[in-house]
Amino acid sequence: MNTHAIELTTRDGEQLRFECAADQNLLEAAACAQIVLPAQCGQGSCGTCYADVTHGDFTLGKHNPAALPVDDEAKGGTLLCCTFPQSDLRISLPFNHDRILIGEIKVRNAEITAVDSVGENTLRLELRLAPDEDDGSVAEFEPGQFMELEVPGQDIKRAYSLANTGNWEGRLEFLIRLQPGGLFSTWLREQAAVGQTLIVHGPKGAFGLHESGLRPRWFVAGGTGLAPMMSMLRRMAEFQEPHPARLYFGANRAEDLFCQTELEALQAELPQLQVIYCVWKPEDNWLGFSGTPVDALAQDLAGAVVLPDIYLCGPPALIDAAEAAARAKGVPDQQVLSERFLPTV
Amino acid sequence: MFCYQCEQTDRSNADSGCATAKGMCGKDATTSDLQDLLIHGVKGIAQYAKRARALNAPDNAAGEFMLYAMFTTLTNVNFNATRFVTLIQEAAQIRDRVKAGYTQAALASGKTPEQLTGPAAWQPAADMDGMLKQAADVGINAGLDQVGADIIGLRSLVLYGLKGVCAYAHHAYVLGGESDTVYAGIEDALDFLSNDPTDAEALLNQSMALGTLNLEVMALLDEANTGTFGAQQPTQVRITPIKGKAILVSGHDLGDLAALLEQTKDTGINIYTHGEMLPAHAYPKLKAYPHLVGNYGGAWQDQQKEFAAFPGAILMTSNCIIEPQAQYRQRIFTAGPVGWPGVRHISDKNFAPLIQAANALPGFKEDVSEKVVTVGFGRDAVLGVADKVIDAVKSGAIKHFFLVGGCDGAAPGRNYYTDFAEQAPQDTVVMTLGCAKYRFNQHDFGDIGGIPRLLDLGQCNDSYSAIKIATALAGAFECGVNELPLSLVVSWFEQKAAAVLLTLLALGIRNIRLGPTLPAFLTPNLVQVLVDKYGLLPITTAQADIEASLTRKAA
Repeated sequence: MNTHAIELTTRDGEQLRFECAADQNLLEAAACAQIVLPAQCGQGSCGTCYADVTHGDFTLGKHNPAALPVDDEAKGGTLLCCTFPQSDLRISLPFNHDRILIGEIKVRNAEITAVDSVGENTLRLELRLAPDEDDGSVAEFEPGQFMELEVPGQDIKRAYSLANTGNWEGRLEFLIRLQPGGLFSTWLREQAAVGQTLIVHGPKGAFGLHESGLRPRWFVAGGTGLAPMMSMLRRMAEFQEPHPARLYFGANRAEDLFCQTELEALQAELPQLQVIYCVWKPEDNWLGFSGTPVDALAQDLAGAVVLPDIYLCGPPALIDAAEAAARAKGVPDQQVLSERFLPTV
Repeated sequence: MFCYQCEQTDRSNADSGCATAKGMCGKDATTSDLQDLLIHGVKGIAQYAKRARALNAPDNAAGEFMLYAMFTTLTNVNFNATRFVTLIQEAAQIRDRVKAGYTQAALASGKTPEQLTGPAAWQPAADMDGMLKQAADVGINAGLDQVGADIIGLRSLVLYGLKGVCAYAHHAYVLGGESDTVYAGIEDALDFLSNDPTDAEALLNQSMALGTLNLEVMALLDEANTGTFGAQQPTQVRITPIKGKAILVSGHDLGDLAALLEQTKDTGINIYTHGEMLPAHAYPKLKAYPHLVGNYGGAWQDQQKEFAAFPGAILMTSNCIIEPQAQYRQRIFTAGPVGWPGVRHISDKNFAPLIQAANALPGFKEDVSEKVVTVGFGRDAVLGVADKVIDAVKSGAIKHFFLVGGCDGAAPGRNYYTDFAEQAPQDTVVMTLGCAKYRFNQHDFGDIGGIPRLLDLGQCNDSYSAIKIATALAGAFECGVNELPLSLVVSWFEQKAAAVLLTLLALGIRNIRLGPTLPAFLTPNLVQVLVDKYGLLPITTAQADIEASLTRKAA
């Protein structure tokens, strides 16, 4: 069968090329050429492999509409894992070249070192990578990336964002919302214990800090969408980056908020960080912001002198609303970066 | 962006230069434009600093900032846009300080302070977007339509040569080498550029003045290196790994290497040199550390492959860094003027995180059978056996000397230098320096009556040694350097090489062969001037150039 020439251009202007047959999806064809693009589910349901086709024809296979908003699809947006070329294609990728792995994704063993409840239906899971011959005991990843966790011997594999930063002890930290009836959630709730081994695939994903001078960085997190924000903020603290920073962290009820101690510690290291706790249905004694983090974002954008870079993570509804709010205030699209959490049962 | 400062600049169009979203080096348009604006800011500092110095109120701290700031704009040094926003703000603050010092000194001596214009009066925009708008007016090509490509090219020759001078001066500074004359020369050159000069003769004279200044800077650096670490000694360096935890140190900064060696003493971690750090093995006070075990890899352009395969932590102390790949992005650290977004930077010589990383990484699993190269033929080592060398020339055992050195790079045309060194006749001696040596330093050149046929003089800045050796030989033979049986075959890539070239030209050294291509900023008219006035020669083929060198009549 004939193949089509695919040309990818990253956000920072690097170009990569590979060939793809008409019955092969772009993600797979790239991987065959040793180009591992950020992706997760591989079946059109998570939205991680979003990209814009700027030239050429393609067909889009079955996918979850929540992972590819209609507005984006209308302007050539697609999900690479279910895109099949009908001609040569030119594609614009919404991330930098450094997020593309040339080679193979790492698969390693890790031991559970902590599994703690941090709120109703929310767990903090800490793993330690088992030292191995090629990687020693290092945990190497970019803030904002995720790992896929697999329970050995069982067909359970789920992706979770990392909440800590790369380190030399092999530590991986996750914040996990327990989904009712979810396979991994059930396993975590009922069987997970310190000392057990998980298989970790990754790091993966393109979400992360974008260098744009000293423009303010506003982070908007719903629930466990806090995890990648914690990672990015911890990196900023570690590097002592000078950008003004705000975190809008929202939950339905005050008691659903978590990690306040960790955020206070972060503020001690990153003094310019403002944390705005947002509660949708507060009790009378609530002193923080009443409403969703998107409400708080919209309110603050109205008074912003410099339009910030906005980082979004959480359920699709939150991201869609925040993107709409940002657009309404004139924030350019390239200043809005997001990671959608779509539940897989 | 518009940038044509390095050898690999985009030449796919009639007008050479990188002018798209990203340069050939990987520098994005934002960073490139901010670098242009930073240089504009530095010019403003120099305008006042020069005048303050004339009133005996020099501000050498501002001078030090200028060295550092200019160094960050060299090819393959700093790619971090955020860092440049901060540096631009800092430049304006320092300019204000120098201006206040100047004003005070002028008033104190009964003079009316000059109200300067141009960069001296510039104020940085409040944010990056504003800065990028400002940068559009102060780029390399500003005024092209009015003054033409020759003048822009000459301004670039001055600016790029000056960048090289500043980089070397910074290397000397970090080892305690400072000089008022050097600061004054740099201020003069920047002040000159701040007037947007249009006189070709004046521009050419300024380039040569920089060449002369650079000789002084290289002497300062030579003194700093040898004063701190002793004179280079011929030394065999292992180029294969040995079992154990490992740190790789690249770039040119011997001071960073020394600090790391001290901090890793008795930790069991082995330190390897990479690229231009190779000559470190020849300095007595550095080679005294037993855990400075060897050299790993080749020249800078191979780093992505080599660093990905290195099983330890990596430190980049100066140019040339290229985009760190995902495989080693978390284990590479930058220091000094170097920067890459998202890569850890160590600014205070506290290498604890680097050491921690090395301990966590696996290191080399086993010894690889030993291979060595010999380094350390700096001026002391060579002039120490000058009598023997002179006798060999007089007896006809040595017919000719070639200096084949400079920067390496990825361009296929650079095979010329491999061919040149390897095909040089057996009765000739090849001296080398810079990272171009990696093209042939594992070749067995043999010796001439005990004098090795390949003499590795050191880093690119050790061209100072080459000049000293050439001058000493000319003295011994009672002739000029141009009359010696010596040919210079120079490979250039970035702006330090531009500074060295200006030095050689300023010294009146003729018939230098320059490649692999000539700088894009030198228009055909400018090349003709350099050919006519200084005897500069573009390279042809190795064989033809060797023959031409050997049959050359005394110039």
